Amino acid sequence: MAAVHLSGINKRFGETHVIRGVDIDIEDGMFCVLVGPSGCGKSTLLRMVAGLEAIDEGEISIGGTVVNDRPPKQRDIAMVFQNYALYPHMTVRENMSFALDLAKRPKAEIEKQVKRAADILGLVPYLDRYPRQLSGGQRQRVAMGRAIVRDPQVFLFDEPLSNLDAKLRVQMRTEIRELHQRLRTTSIYVTHDQTEAMTMADRIVVLKDGVVEQSGGPLELYSRPANTFVAGFIGSPSMNFMPGIARASGGTMQVDLGRGASLPLPAGSRADDGQAVLYGVRPEHFQLGASGLAVEVVVVEPTGADTQLYCRFDGHDVVAAIRDCAECRSGDRIVLAPDSRRAHLFDAASGLRLIA
Amino acid sequence: MNAGRFRTSQILLFVALAAFTAAMLTPVVWALMTSVKQPIDAFAIPPKIVFEPTFEFHRQVWLEKGFGRFLLNSAVISLATVVVSVSIGTMAAYALSRMSGKAVGGIMLALLSLRMFPHMLLAIPFFILAKYLNLIDTYPAMVLALVAINQPFTIWMMHSFFVDVPKEIDEAAAIDGAGEWQTFFRVVLPIVRPGLWVTALFSLLLAYNEFLFALVLTGPHTKTLPVAIAEYGGEDLNYWSLSAAAAIAIMIPIVLFMMALQKHLVRGLALGAVK
Amino acid sequence: MQLTTAGQDAVTPALRKSAARRARRAQHRRLWPFLLPSALVAFFILLYPLGYAFYLSLFNYYLDTGASTFVGFANYADLFTDTRFWAALTRTIGIVVAAVGLEFCVGLTVAYGLYRLTFGVRALNLLMFLPHIITPVVAALFLKWIFAGRWGLLDSLFATFGFFAPDWLGDPAWARVTVVLADAWQFTPFMILVLFAGLNTVDPSQIEAAQIDGASGRQILFRIMLPSIAPIIAFVLTMRMMDAFRYFDTIYVLTGGGPGTATETVTMQTYALAFRLFQIGKASALGVVTLLIVLAFASIIVATVGRRKGRT
Ligand SMILES: Nc1ncnc2c1ncn2[C@@H]1O[C@H](COP(=O)(O)OP(=O)(O)OP(=O)(O)O)[C@@H](O)[C@H]1O
Ligand SMILES: [Mg+2]
Repeated sequence: MAAVHLSGINKRFGETHVIRGVDIDIEDGMFCVLVGPSGCGKSTLLRMVAGLEAIDEGEISIGGTVVNDRPPKQRDIAMVFQNYALYPHMTVRENMSFALDLAKRPKAEIEKQVKRAADILGLVPYLDRYPRQLSGGQRQRVAMGRAIVRDPQVFLFDEPLSNLDAKLRVQMRTEIRELHQRLRTTSIYVTHDQTEAMTMADRIVVLKDGVVEQSGGPLELYSRPANTFVAGFIGSPSMNFMPGIARASGGTMQVDLGRGASLPLPAGSRADDGQAVLYGVRPEHFQLGASGLAVEVVVVEPTGADTQLYCRFDGHDVVAAIRDCAECRSGDRIVLAPDSRRAHLFDAASGLRLIA
Repeated sequence: MNAGRFRTSQILLFVALAAFTAAMLTPVVWALMTSVKQPIDAFAIPPKIVFEPTFEFHRQVWLEKGFGRFLLNSAVISLATVVVSVSIGTMAAYALSRMSGKAVGGIMLALLSLRMFPHMLLAIPFFILAKYLNLIDTYPAMVLALVAINQPFTIWMMHSFFVDVPKEIDEAAAIDGAGEWQTFFRVVLPIVRPGLWVTALFSLLLAYNEFLFALVLTGPHTKTLPVAIAEYGGEDLNYWSLSAAAAIAIMIPIVLFMMALQKHLVRGLALGAVK
Repeated sequence: MQLTTAGQDAVTPALRKSAARRARRAQHRRLWPFLLPSALVAFFILLYPLGYAFYLSLFNYYLDTGASTFVGFANYADLFTDTRFWAALTRTIGIVVAAVGLEFCVGLTVAYGLYRLTFGVRALNLLMFLPHIITPVVAALFLKWIFAGRWGLLDSLFATFGFFAPDWLGDPAWARVTVVLADAWQFTPFMILVLFAGLNTVDPSQIEAAQIDGASGRQILFRIMLPSIAPIIAFVLTMRMMDAFRYFDTIYVLTGGGPGTATETVTMQTYALAFRLFQIGKASALGVVTLLIVLAFASIIVATVGRRKGRT
């Protein structure tokens, strides 16, 4: 096991600058999730850690050793690919033992390791099958088994669940998490699914256009997003952003959202008089109240646990998730009161969080 | 369109196409019949469809007229060509399928046009060089020539199989600790093994059928079947029946080949224009 | 625990390029041993002999006497003033165009028939493919026994019905027709195979959409299917023309270029110059000229294939 450090990483494909000065520190034993929209460079970054992609600038170290110029096999890492990349001509057993076989480990040890991995993953009945004779979930497990037998310093996962159906995805998510708790191997996990990131990660790194937007624990990103991008990306349904102007009135600062709606500054934020801002509220942080935003309900979607209201306010869409609102109908006019302790304020121009 | 009319038009279409096929096969059938006819039947007018078959000429061709030797030459030369050409061509195709950049595309297109260039232009220098090196009428000269004209095909064909193997497989192998050669021999090559057989069989066909180089480079000791049958002259009274017997026999392995490869004919012959 | 910087581009474009190039070069270095054997073959037994052929074409070199004098481009100059060469060239072009045209028309008709047929397609397709795959020399012999005077199948059929058959191989005009038919016999199956495969690549939903729009079968063929396989047609036509242009085996066996020079193509002429008259220099020059002509065809293929590759 080992800590992984990336510093000042840059990567270009021809003229396109794909990774732009990324620094990430991953502590020993941590489960770190790289998340971001498609094309932001997550896979590229992971492949650079694996040694499959050359590093243009910067340094990657694994367990204290700089590995820039080492081929993959000298980095002591294992990787699970999105399409699994199982060897189609080898049985499950052969797939899992291939690396150990190449490393010329004794037969008995290889057998023991394969047995251990197969036990952990429930693959024992399938050891003599070929990949084409397995279901998607089983293939996925073989891909992980191939990684586990190596007992590497670092696990790398590139969207390993994206080819599975929704139910299996949730199940495998838990399995991978349990596996990590058991083995405590440093892991880097790439996904574009923020739910996956939130549920699995010790640490999330949000990437956009090859730049780290924010990194931290899941709850930190949820409750203190550094900018509108992270705020909008983390959490589902997404945060509402309402443009407004900060105004000093009677000694306190208020956010004027137009239409006579004026809200107090969210807790812990700060703005200058006249500053253009975005007022951010997550749907689950609205309540029905007396003062707040007067909106018109457009669509009502009960999910059982709560009810999602799609509303219009001053030409914007506002989404609210309310606990007990069985009586709401579309066309109703209601007042949504944001919880100002859990609301967020961002600078409209830069999108950065405004902190007191 | 109603079902009955559809049936009728389908049957008419089938009859027309079957008639075309029959016409196309007539020369083959005619030769086949000639090879098992007594000369008196072979020269009959009108042509005889019903006759007492004889396999006397098939026996004579192989046992008395020396075609056994020519078959051996053909087999040795074709097999040697396939072994050399496919093994080195497969390695090259793998490298090309894993390289990137403009040069690779250029090489592939150059191979495509090399496959088409006039063999006569190569036959002349080959003949002169073989003469200088005293290689006329030896196996190596013929094998080298066939390897040369086979390479572009082998590489192009194997390349089309290698590009179907996802790059991630190589990467998984690299992470598992395999070097280039291990990745090639233990991972990628076994995956394309069916393609390897297809390529080898097509190369075998190319070598087995080749005529021009065999005509120029072989002699009494190394003469292959196509040259032998083309040269087989009228010194014999039963020449017609004998050469028909030989021609039919030469064709038989090819029929087997066609059965084995029916699914791959397009891929092997159309150079990737259609897949 | 982390830092976020977009980072100004401190690196010059030159440095940037070299990093990418270095990575690619490293990858190529690992792969070049795989290329080596094939590259040696290509160089020593393909490119070197070709270069040598060009070198020979600059000499007046008689193989039987061994006399060899450097003459520069005189062999080429001679060729272009040689009426026998021009005659062979026009004859070759005539044979190629007639044969490939015939193959294409018949091939397309049959391929479309197979496309419309709903049963027995595989068997028919395979059976009619046989003439293409048999050894060309053998195929030529099979045809010879059809066209041979008196004993051939055609003649004996004619005789049966009391007609007088033309001399298929001995009459100059008929010999050319026979050569064209022979090429067509061997290569129409190839046309059928490729065109049939091509027709099957047309997206069925396109055809269904056209049917719903009320297009007839003929309209669908000409307005939808043929345009969408136009690149395949271009490819197969140029490929066939190049092949027919250099074709040798059939004519050698069937007519040997005769009667006289009635079926002497450029390739046959090269063969006769080199291996019957032993005028190696002149034959090489003729070979080089053939290569240039075929390369012109090849560039058409390269353009179509290159475009297809770029599109996918
Ligand atoms: N080999 C390559 N050559 C050129 N550009 C590339 C190459 N690989 C990736 N890119 C580009 O780099 C950018 C980042 O790609 P990357 O695969 O890392 O994205 P990603 O974040 O993994 O996206 P996804 O979620 O869709 O997998 C993309 O714009 C992509 O087009
Ligand atoms: Mg990716």
